[in-house]
Amino acid sequence: MGGQENIVIRTEQVSKSFPGVRALKELDFEVTRGEVHALCGENGAGKSTLMKIIVREYVEDEGNIFIEGHNVEGLGIRGVQELGLSIIHQELNLIPMLTVAQNICLGREPVNWIGKIDWKSMRKMAEEFLSEVTSEIDVENFVENLSISEQQLVAIARSLVTSPRILILDEPTARLDQKSSDSFFSFIERAKQKDLTVVYISHRLEEIYRICDRVTVLRDGKKIITEQINELPQTELVKYMLGREITQQVPKESVPIGEVKLSVKDLFPKEKGANINFDLKSGEILGIVGSIGAGKSEVARAIFGADPKKKGTISVAGKEVKINTPQDAIREGLALIPEERRDQGLVGNESVRKNMTMAALKKKFCVGPSWIQKDKEIEAVETSIRTLRIATPGTEQEVQFLSGGTQQKVVVAKWLMSDSSIYIFDEPTKGIDVGGKYDIYKLIVDLARQGAGIIFISNELMEVLSLCDRVLVMFNGQIIKGLETVATNREELLFYVMGGRDYAETANNSKGYH
Amino acid sequence: MQKQPITPKGIINNYGATFAFIIAIIFFSFASQGFFSGQNLQNILVQSTSLGICAFGLTFVLITGEIDLSYGGVIGLVGAVLAGMLKDGHSIGLVTVVCLAIGLGTGLLNAILIVVLNLPSFLASVAVMFICMGAERIYNQGVTTWIRDPSVLSIVQGSVGPVPLPVLYLFALFFICWFLQTQTKAGQYVRALGENISAVKEVGIRASLLKSGVFVFAGLIFAFAGYIEILRIGGAVMYAGSHLLLSVLAACFLGTATFKAGKANFPGTLIGAFFLYTLLSGFTALGMKFYLVPFAQGLILIISVAISSARRGKIEQVQF
Ligand SMILES: Nc1ncnc2c1ncn2[C@@H]1O[C@H](COP(=O)(O)OP(=O)(O)OP(=O)(O)O)[C@@H](O)[C@H]1O
Ligand SMILES: [Mg+2]
Repeated sequence: MGGQENIVIRTEQVSKSFPGVRALKELDFEVTRGEVHALCGENGAGKSTLMKIIVREYVEDEGNIFIEGHNVEGLGIRGVQELGLSIIHQELNLIPMLTVAQNICLGREPVNWIGKIDWKSMRKMAEEFLSEVTSEIDVENFVENLSISEQQLVAIARSLVTSPRILILDEPTARLDQKSSDSFFSFIERAKQKDLTVVYISHRLEEIYRICDRVTVLRDGKKIITEQINELPQTELVKYMLGREITQQVPKESVPIGEVKLSVKDLFPKEKGANINFDLKSGEILGIVGSIGAGKSEVARAIFGADPKKKGTISVAGKEVKINTPQDAIREGLALIPEERRDQGLVGNESVRKNMTMAALKKKFCVGPSWIQKDKEIEAVETSIRTLRIATPGTEQEVQFLSGGTQQKVVVAKWLMSDSSIYIFDEPTKGIDVGGKYDIYKLIVDLARQGAGIIFISNELMEVLSLCDRVLVMFNGQIIKGLETVATNREELLFYVMGGRDYAETANNSKGYH
Repeated sequence: MQKQPITPKGIINNYGATFAFIIAIIFFSFASQGFFSGQNLQNILVQSTSLGICAFGLTFVLITGEIDLSYGGVIGLVGAVLAGMLKDGHSIGLVTVVCLAIGLGTGLLNAILIVVLNLPSFLASVAVMFICMGAERIYNQGVTTWIRDPSVLSIVQGSVGPVPLPVLYLFALFFICWFLQTQTKAGQYVRALGENISAVKEVGIRASLLKSGVFVFAGLIFAFAGYIEILRIGGAVMYAGSHLLLSVLAACFLGTATFKAGKANFPGTLIGAFFLYTLLSGFTALGMKFYLVPFAQGLILIISVAISSARRGKIEQVQF
């Protein structure tokens, strides 16, 4: 690729520190026009920080940044937007109680001569940008009524409002399900043809190999390498990211399957779903897959008592139990690792320690009614930080200052401490780096070996196939299929996820769900 | 993907306080002879004006996710200055400008403390309230000053046709506030600011400037409320603002139980203000002992807020 004029983003020796953390160290980074440039690295490597500096949300301690040849010093967020830059953050920064149209047009509302918002042209404007990524969302709907996946599409549409020529995408697919990802990737293809430059942050390697031209790897705030993607084998890329090798994708081992641990009968979640029936045995890892709005999380939340249910019975170890609130569920030995960490799993302005021990505090770290054994607590937290490789300066750091994926790890750690016997993981590896995923899989297999029953909800079919013993496919609120993972494959799963009815007359179909 | 379906429960959640209001009116109409007369209803309207106006200012601040209790002092200070300056023979034009300037000044002070220095808004605005009360005391030496000039009093005590002027001011200001908040860009951003400040900053909106603007605007409204209140009474009683302190807050919170569950909003605040005075007047009409009235008011406040936090409660329960 040509000379200087083709370099659209360039950083020179950029450094940035936060209290207790050196997030970026003398970083040089270049993006050329028209490419899709992947940015990889472990949780807490500094990817989001670098991007926030480029869009002027943070100011670097040292170094220079050039966009389209302009030094950005002194420019504000609006200033770099005018240079053609737009970003989609890792966090969903939408306003739940406003409509999709109001969110998309935020900051750019069309107004008439007295300053009144012109609702009609706003609607049209929102529809125009939203149609770039999806045609299935009503712009008049309130964002709070949308699924997470749909909200992510809205956030993408919003970033297009400034007609950017450079688009920074910070883990855009972490919240997308299969179907929305497909429409997202076709959007990226179209964008490439229009000569849009894309910086793409993701922990999903197959995506990076699918759409990116070059890749830059960060580790501990330093640049390790920039390379053409097709000249870098996947194992090498992982090695650069982690600084170590991981041999196997998923540490699958066969664990003896025991008695029925959890039995769900005729469950009708209030929010969405009907007639859910299944059993979970001890030592078993049961996958649940399904597309946008299929009702997977709703089932999990109904079982856990986080949402009300219309009817249905839940039995733990053969005994029928009443679960109306999460407290009931915890008492019965259930744990739910929720999907949206920021509002469901964490208290942002509390420390890593307090967040982690919140669920287990009474059970494990208290003597008498409420005397906390702090040394024991700290020891357990430090062990978790080590085994899950949680990137934090210490046990007392507030979780809001951790990187996105690191926060997710804290949620997982919190529930792993709870000593439950039934774990429901709702997308636990979302936003977690390759190494971290591996660590979490290992922990899940460990739990299964110790006799826990595990429900594993995920959109990544490959991960489900390699980790789970059985998988249930949900469509439109119902379980339409139950499959043994050894006797199925990605294509068959995808077929059912999309709502297909009869993949083949042969194998497995008669086995049912139990 | 569709809008929320309309269910009986949804209606109660969203409009709980509105229902309570209607039920209260019906109840009082049957229970007491004098209540449902044109004269009494007009009285309720007129008496709720300064409370309503002041509550609009507070509503703006609440929408940004902050709180501003400085009106508890601003109203009294404005009243003292208004009555005092008139007594000293200054023209009403000049006095009006000075009153509004006081609102502007206290609004700015709030903005500096809360937005620039990042102090918690509750404490900062209470401090400003005390400062204003102190200033009021120094200015009027604790003496009640009456206003006797009928031409001045007619600003508030007059009427256009059958409509009393204060009611006109109340509705005009209501319309302005409602329009600003729901129909203009700045208003949208104010709401957005209270919901998710990073979303607002991300698109390049100057959030701090906007928030400061809201405090200043609220200060102006508080001053206007004081102006109306004192002219309606016809004199500056000591610490006039502190009488309104809790009722204004109550009106706003009743408002959050009206229309938009859990969120401050202008139509809700308007109804909340009427509601409070309806109760007051209704209980009086029933001949309830004066010391029992606050008691009953408190009970009703609890009930209606409880009804409509049912929905919010559900959302909060998520954070297990
Ligand atoms: N506002 C902040 N205050 C304090 N520390 C911060 C702040 N933002 C980031 N950090 C720290 O800087 C480091 C880099 O964080 P960053 O968010 O850039 O990581 P990341 O590469 O995006 O990780 P992830 O893949 O998890 O999103 C982390 O150690 C994080 O804890
Ligand atoms: Mg990040």
